[in-house]
Amino acid sequence: MTEVVVRCSGVTRTYQDEAVPVYALRGVDFEVRRGEFVSLAGPSGSGKSTLLNVIGGLDRPNEGLIEVDGINLNDLSQSELSDMRLNKMGFVFQAYNLIPVLSALENVEFIMQLQGVGAAERSERARAALASLGISELEHRRPGELSGGQQQRAAIARAIVTNPVLLLADEPSANLDSHATEELLELLQRLNEERGVTIVTATHDPMVMSYAKRRINLRDGTIVEDAISAAALPAVR
Amino acid sequence: MPLKLLVQLSARNLSRHKRRNFMLLMAICVAVGGVTFMNSLIRGFQYDMQESAVANLTGHVKILAPGYLDDPSIAKSFKLAADWQPDIAAEELEGWAARIRIPAVIMSERETRGIQFVGVDPAQESISFLGDADYDGQSLRDASDNRVVIGRALAEQLETKVGRRLVIITQGADGLNREAGFRIAGVYDVEGTGLEKIFVFTGIKMLQQMVDAEVFTEVSIKLAGTPREFSVKVALAEFFTGLVVLDWQELEPQAAAMFLFADAAIFIWFLIMMGALIFGLVNTLITAVMERVRELGMLRAVGMRPGAVIVQVVLESTFMMALGVTIGIGMGVGLIFWAGDGIDLSEWAQGMEMAGMRSVLVPRLMIADLILVAGLSMVFGVLASLYPAWRAVKINPLEALRR
Repeated sequence: MTEVVVRCSGVTRTYQDEAVPVYALRGVDFEVRRGEFVSLAGPSGSGKSTLLNVIGGLDRPNEGLIEVDGINLNDLSQSELSDMRLNKMGFVFQAYNLIPVLSALENVEFIMQLQGVGAAERSERARAALASLGISELEHRRPGELSGGQQQRAAIARAIVTNPVLLLADEPSANLDSHATEELLELLQRLNEERGVTIVTATHDPMVMSYAKRRINLRDGTIVEDAISAAALPAVR
Repeated sequence: MPLKLLVQLSARNLSRHKRRNFMLLMAICVAVGGVTFMNSLIRGFQYDMQESAVANLTGHVKILAPGYLDDPSIAKSFKLAADWQPDIAAEELEGWAARIRIPAVIMSERETRGIQFVGVDPAQESISFLGDADYDGQSLRDASDNRVVIGRALAEQLETKVGRRLVIITQGADGLNREAGFRIAGVYDVEGTGLEKIFVFTGIKMLQQMVDAEVFTEVSIKLAGTPREFSVKVALAEFFTGLVVLDWQELEPQAAAMFLFADAAIFIWFLIMMGALIFGLVNTLITAVMERVRELGMLRAVGMRPGAVIVQVVLESTFMMALGVTIGIGMGVGLIFWAGDGIDLSEWAQGMEMAGMRSVLVPRLMIADLILVAGLSMVFGVLASLYPAWRAVKINPLEALRR
């Protein structure tokens, strides 16, 4: 098991706009080590979401190397990338993206069904994940019957139930009020500190940045700052 | 592939947009129910026509002398030995009837008409329309009865009635004309005036005496259960050497052609109904896929493989179709039982008779047709889902999540 969970080397991603290439990422180099809580920050169009998508195998770079848990994503087919995302990554989306026809418990379980985990183990692990996020009493409710914060917790339960190597969160606080955001961030912090989950989040929310141990600032597709944040200072000391 | 999950998702997705899915379900039910009922009417028409053709003195298989069809006279006759009946399994056979059927001229005091004069053994005629006919007066007693029975329409043309005498002229075995007087034993009434105008019956021994030969012009065989004309034909052809053995399709080619057309009509009707329905199904599935772009994108993003997405959409269509087919067939069968006594088409009786049908159309339920409708509907359901499924697979998870 490697200590480096994410390795980006010379990652460039361009989009074609009327024959003129637009650079979303320009030769980005950085590594994320196991147990880190990294926030990718920057203004809109800085490339933070693109970088998160490239790390998650949802997008492919035009140039450069992306390794997750020692596996070069550039070498993988679409199906292999699907398997990679299923077995090694957890995703928390801005809009929760829970399946409305499934209960909270089923939403957490289904990802394990994709993995082929047996019913009994699935149920046990899903209940444990919901309990660890404090919403076990809501397990039979469908997403429409949950508040935004509760839906986000269910989405996190779905993301961590498979014990992923890497948890990727894209603007996880975008649809939450400040109280729910604080609860969410404490939760992520707890997952990171107590369970050692490696977290990379793309955000422009200062509160999210304040909870991350490491902050990478992007501007125009390049890293302009990579710093240990205040949240990590006690640990550094 | 997580089939249980896909089944669960597909089944529950049907509960989304209840009104839209209910309307689509109703469309499937009406289409399948309509096809089921219409098929039963087509089958009713088809088998009515076949039964009419068979009962019209034809039978399922008939034995004739060579050349009789071109020149149906006493000259084209044959003799039968005392033990002339070959072995045919009792369960396959409804009955035999040996007859003389020759052209003749019939005269009353007022009118003259050309007819088919038929000598029969009444005991054998349960296989033809004569056995089911209603009589004013009496039917023939036996093969030696020297009276005649004529049709109601012919009686009206001849302006005669039961008990009166008629003169019939026909050709004898020696080629000379024979003329004899007959008393009318009864006037028969069958559905369709065509038969009543043409056929006049007397005892076969009487007619053999009149033509001066103990001969027959035809042996008609009606089969029981699901007729196997071909195998019986082969057996009879081996037995009746030198005679011609023909089945009802060869003897009534127009009815046979209509019979085959009815088979095709079932498919044509099905294709029209399902063809119209499939556009609605495709449209609904595409709408359902487009409404769930984010969800499908998320599923792909977290690791669901493209094949699983296809199966999910196909399963949705399959479930919808299965539900619609089940209810639709139930509705269709209900309609068939409701119309079990038949639909009265007597207003169009003349046209119906021309098509060889009775004036009451009785729907005929065939399990094979139900299986066909159910099976093909499911196939259509799967085919209809392939394009929406392909659209679902083409969704780029990244773009979907950005929406």
